[in-house]
Amino acid sequence: MIEKRLERMGVMTDRGKATAYGIFSLSLLLILWICATSLFQWIEPRVLPSPTRVIGQFAWILTEPFSGLRLPGHILSSLERWGWGVLTAGLIGIPVGVFFAWNPWFRTFVNPVFELIHFIPPFAYIPLAVLWFGASTATQAMVVFVAAFPSIVINSQLGVAQVEKIYIDAARVLGASQLRTLWRVILPAAAPSIYTGLRIAISNGWMALVGAELVVGKVGLGFMIAQGQENASVATIFVGIITIGCLGVLIDTLVQRTERFVLPWRKVAS
Amino acid sequence: MDQSRTLQVAAGLGAVLAWIVIWAWLTRPGGPVPTLYFPAPDDVWAKFVRMWQRPYIGSTLPNHILASLYIVLTGWGLAALVGIPLGIAMAWWKRLKWIVFPTFQLIRPVPPLAWIPLTILWLGIGDSARISVVFIAALVPWLMNSMLAVYSIDRLLLDAAKTLGANDRQILTRVVCRTALPTLVAAARMALGSAWSTLVAAEILAATAGLGYVAVNASQLLDTDVLLVAMFMIGILGIGMTGLIGLTQNWLAPWSVLGARRD
Amino acid sequence: MEQSAGKMASGTTDPAPEAPAKLELRNISKWFGPEGEGVHAVDDCSIEVKKGEFIVVVGPSGCGKSTLMTVGAGLEEPTHGEVLVDGKPAGPPGPTRSVVFQKFALFPSETVEQNIKFGLQMTGVSAAEQEARLAEQLKIMGLEQFRKSYPSELSGGMQQRVAIARALVMQPEILLMDEPFGALDAQTRTILQEEVQRLHREKHYTVLFITHSVEEAVYLGDRVVVMTRRPGRIKRVIELPRDVAWKTGDIELASEHPEFIEFRREIWGLVREEIVSI
Ligand SMILES: Nc1ncnc2c1ncn2[C@@H]1O[C@H](COP(=O)(O)OP(=O)(O)O)[C@@H](O)[C@H]1O
Ligand SMILES: [Mg+2]
Repeated sequence: MIEKRLERMGVMTDRGKATAYGIFSLSLLLILWICATSLFQWIEPRVLPSPTRVIGQFAWILTEPFSGLRLPGHILSSLERWGWGVLTAGLIGIPVGVFFAWNPWFRTFVNPVFELIHFIPPFAYIPLAVLWFGASTATQAMVVFVAAFPSIVINSQLGVAQVEKIYIDAARVLGASQLRTLWRVILPAAAPSIYTGLRIAISNGWMALVGAELVVGKVGLGFMIAQGQENASVATIFVGIITIGCLGVLIDTLVQRTERFVLPWRKVAS
Repeated sequence: MDQSRTLQVAAGLGAVLAWIVIWAWLTRPGGPVPTLYFPAPDDVWAKFVRMWQRPYIGSTLPNHILASLYIVLTGWGLAALVGIPLGIAMAWWKRLKWIVFPTFQLIRPVPPLAWIPLTILWLGIGDSARISVVFIAALVPWLMNSMLAVYSIDRLLLDAAKTLGANDRQILTRVVCRTALPTLVAAARMALGSAWSTLVAAEILAATAGLGYVAVNASQLLDTDVLLVAMFMIGILGIGMTGLIGLTQNWLAPWSVLGARRD
Repeated sequence: MEQSAGKMASGTTDPAPEAPAKLELRNISKWFGPEGEGVHAVDDCSIEVKKGEFIVVVGPSGCGKSTLMTVGAGLEEPTHGEVLVDGKPAGPPGPTRSVVFQKFALFPSETVEQNIKFGLQMTGVSAAEQEARLAEQLKIMGLEQFRKSYPSELSGGMQQRVAIARALVMQPEILLMDEPFGALDAQTRTILQEEVQRLHREKHYTVLFITHSVEEAVYLGDRVVVMTRRPGRIKRVIELPRDVAWKTGDIELASEHPEFIEFRREIWGLVREEIVSI
């Protein structure tokens, strides 16, 4: 019945219908939220603040310092720690991954340490990081590193291992040295896989950062929601969660979009 | 073939041993790494044995382990109870997907951990806060992979079932749900990984027992050896549980682990 | 230049008091996507399959043969035209029209015997009857020793035997086969071709068989329908002699028979025109 009406309105494709249904269900959720809070106060504001309260809190944190920093400040410090962690993971992880594929003995030797990092969840490193670095940027960066490192190594290794031997032979026949083969042939061919690894690392790192900031630190988005818990301010937590979610989506979209520029030779597929 | 495999295993063991030796050498009394930052292997082992028998911050190690397992398995199991049927239903009835999926997409980018402060505010620091965070962490992989499991079923199988007289309900229960099983086993593994890692963080933040709780207390008390015991246990239990799930594939979906026979 | 199928068909249906065809595809057209914009797969095809007849459809790959078959089975709705069984609209797919697919389409999670019993269980056949029919099919198809195997453990030829058994066990009035031997190696194919020929002779199944192999068409068919390239229309219908010695023997010998060679040449000529002409 709904569909008939939609079709009369000119919405014919499944895609269009899906959007219509989505808008409908999300609006319903919003209306329910408004009813439960602002309109009828079914739920105490202490437990669930109204949308207007959340927006108000958002505006407040944007303009007034919260625990010393405004919202952009918290965002920047989160991004900074996250950036350091992912950057180090990339700088160490890519060579390690390439070497894993290049030299089986190196791999056998380093593997135990790598598996240790791989199988112990990043959050389990928080207490160790705190013990080593105290409440500094390095603590959070280390947790981000641990979260980001494995996927970079695994995907770099896969990428190199998958490069067809025929390319390598072709390069050899053309007289390229090992290093040049690596640089000119193998790395470009492995780049898409390495990129995939980086992408996973970037989002894993972001997730881990939040965890690290919840536990230690005096700034950052994770700290902000922890502070919201401390002050029993659900609105602050909401602002934090929404910001974290939006930034996560934004980062992932950016990474996806840049792929075309970074790897122009990769066919744009799927 | 077999010989090279034995060689590989031997080399792997050798590497592990080598690292333990390096570790022992670095942390030897008067060595370059102070044990405050990183304890010696024998200290860690001694602490492990001791914690197994005597309580550390309230419980013995087995009890801490049980506390962690209880939370993680409850959250993971509840997420399965919701995620599998919902995921399959969403893939099967596109209207349900159109209605539910947008909300799900809204929640998905939020790291599961970000819900911890909220659940603590709403539910207190009891088990239910941790269970619900673990639940959220496990729900995403359960649901996404259940949907994927249905989508990846060859349409031809559904056509074949139709021509054999099966109705929609029969196709759903007999063809779709069974064919999806191997993917669901993979989903179980991913969901557990996500649940386990989230639980550790949740225990660091709000718990009175459990391995994460041990780790954070050890860190505050500067008991590095205890901290390492906790971290190792977290890693080993994670590997163990995912391994167990892998084994269930043999009896849940035996067809998916057979090699194709050629003639 | 092209002889329309309509004329041929009306030639055979004119004698009035004849029973309606077992399966009739009447003026079938099929568009994927909106009509006039999407892919025009089949255009105005009419095919009649009489009871006990073995009709083979040949045509270049991509000409809409499979589409015709899925429409005939009821798996897709035709854009125009209708599908009739015994003169009545055929309705949704079901066990009266069993289908054998090129890619076997066996349920990977079920053993050979579960696969074969699948349709019987869906349609509520009694357990005793299920066992009896299963045993019969296992015997006919030579699958007894594989009854507990999973499809992934079987070779392609064995898998297709299971698929045929699964279709036959339903005791269908009509058997639809879409390039059933296309994915098999040459030797297995030969053996299964002979077995299908034997089954048809002994049990008088009504079959609509699709292939791109001219040889297979001449060997198996009572009538061969040649299709044009996409959008698939019917180019020519060729009656083949029935009950001749070369059709009842094995295919290797048939292909040396002058009559066989003549038909093969004629049909290949028709198909070839569709492939080479732009
Ligand atoms: N579901 C579909 N959607 C869109 N196009 C299709 C679909 N199925 C088949 N086609 C197109 O219709 C044409 C006929 O396909 P098919 O019947 O499979 O050919 P054949 O079996 O003769 O090789 C092909 O061009 C194919 O690409
Ligand atoms: Mg085809």
